Amino acid sequence: MRWGMVVDLSSCMRCYACIAACRIEHFLPMGMSWPRLVALETSGDSPTVSTYSVRCNQCKEAPCVEVCPTGATQKRDDGIVWVDQDKCVGCRYCVVACPYQNRTFLSRDKDKGFFPGIVQTDFEKAGKKLYSHQIGTTEKCNFCAERIDAGLAQGLKPGKDREATPACVNTCPARALTFGDLDDPDSEISRLIRERKGFQLHPEYDTDPSVYFIDGKIGQADTTSIAENSKQEPTPVGAEQ
Amino acid sequence: MEAHEWMINYTRQTEWIDRRGIFLWIAFYAGGLGGGLYLVSLYFNSLWGMFISWLIIAVIKGGAHLLYLGKPLRFWRIIFRPNTSWLARGIIFVFTFIVFTAIQLAFSYWLPGSSGEIVFKTLGGIAALAVMVYTGFVLNSVKSVPFWNSTLLPLLFVLCGILGGFGLSVIIALNGGNVPLSAAETGSRWLLVINALFIVVYLWTAANREATGKKSVMEQMRGNLAPVFWIGIVLLGIVIPLIIAFTSLITGGVSSALLITGVVCEVIGGLALRYCVLKAGAYKPLVANVH
Repeated sequence: MRWGMVVDLSSCMRCYACIAACRIEHFLPMGMSWPRLVALETSGDSPTVSTYSVRCNQCKEAPCVEVCPTGATQKRDDGIVWVDQDKCVGCRYCVVACPYQNRTFLSRDKDKGFFPGIVQTDFEKAGKKLYSHQIGTTEKCNFCAERIDAGLAQGLKPGKDREATPACVNTCPARALTFGDLDDPDSEISRLIRERKGFQLHPEYDTDPSVYFIDGKIGQADTTSIAENSKQEPTPVGAEQ
Repeated sequence: MEAHEWMINYTRQTEWIDRRGIFLWIAFYAGGLGGGLYLVSLYFNSLWGMFISWLIIAVIKGGAHLLYLGKPLRFWRIIFRPNTSWLARGIIFVFTFIVFTAIQLAFSYWLPGSSGEIVFKTLGGIAALAVMVYTGFVLNSVKSVPFWNSTLLPLLFVLCGILGGFGLSVIIALNGGNVPLSAAETGSRWLLVINALFIVVYLWTAANREATGKKSVMEQMRGNLAPVFWIGIVLLGIVIPLIIAFTSLITGGVSSALLITGVVCEVIGGLALRYCVLKAGAYKPLVANVH
């Protein structure tokens, strides 16, 4: 069993719901976000836009696990890479080694509170009890491992049953995110990868990410016709721009 | 929310140089300098040199590492994964150096010439070399930063460390520390030339490795890092010390003040080199085929 995710780039509508859901699920401090949105757009009369919803790729050959000097970063049997914050010394070797820049060092200035110096919200107080984040350590997406574990204990199936599925997948209104078992050839994500030419980011690093992308208009290796139509240099756009 | 422009462009790493990352920069340089001084002091059999190198590694390097960590009180955990992590190996080398060299210094002071002294000098020398070389492997192991991903980097750091060691041994010689001044100057002179050539080779190979490597090199030569590169590495680290070294060679000797100025310039050059290497390390854009 190896948990994985497929991101349908043609469906993502940049609503940031996945980011909000993750913040709520894990009580993330304001200065840190586990998933991120990267939007790319070609210029010209008919611009092509692609939005990448990115997060930790839970690599099969994870450089972060390899370089961690304390063993704080570990890989589970189901492929999920997680950080034991009680073991992390905050050396940030994993942050530097991650080719996808999907790890965050939680420094004091990233956890100032939602309303710094004014009030601590009930949400923040609950977070301190339920999902404490240790300043001075490294964090990253864990595919909502605690939800998966709790769901499996109840006999639920991650990717099909909401209670056992990552929060970002549950909340995506465009159904751009699909979660499931990469080792199961009959799972929906295996089918999507197979039929819609799923691709990984930077396969040349031999990290074998568990997050795949499909239907990319920019950045997909197998998009010859699209590349011909959009030869201009792409420029970034975001919801605010 | 932000557009995360950093992920679609060439992005330099920040964790190991910006803000508290400067402690890591100091720690990396101190490792090279201390290790280099120890090896040079072994060659000259200078007890003062060995003692100063022990102080540099135990106090400056060790202290800077502790100041850098997010959770310094857990520092002992850092040695648990030497099978895969170069940082774990490096800290083990540092501990080994501190212990072996402390024992060697005690032997050299109270029982000079004993077999214990010889054994611990050998062990200390091996540990010193390991302390010098491991920082290069720490960076070299990061595949996603092409500018670092070169086998030449550990060698560059070793050469730079030995150059600094010869430089400090000149100062020890000027203060009557049982080091022949002319030999220290000769070593310094040769290392300066070799180091300069090696820096050129390193930059040339990095620029030809791939687009991101070239970007890192151009950032140093023409970008924001140009003042540090040209003034710090080239002028202070190479040109001025070379002028002083060859003036001393031709005229048969220069004033102590000038020699000390040359050594200070060498140290600044070494610091600038480490700074540029760390600061110019850049990742490829997250999404390929964009640029």
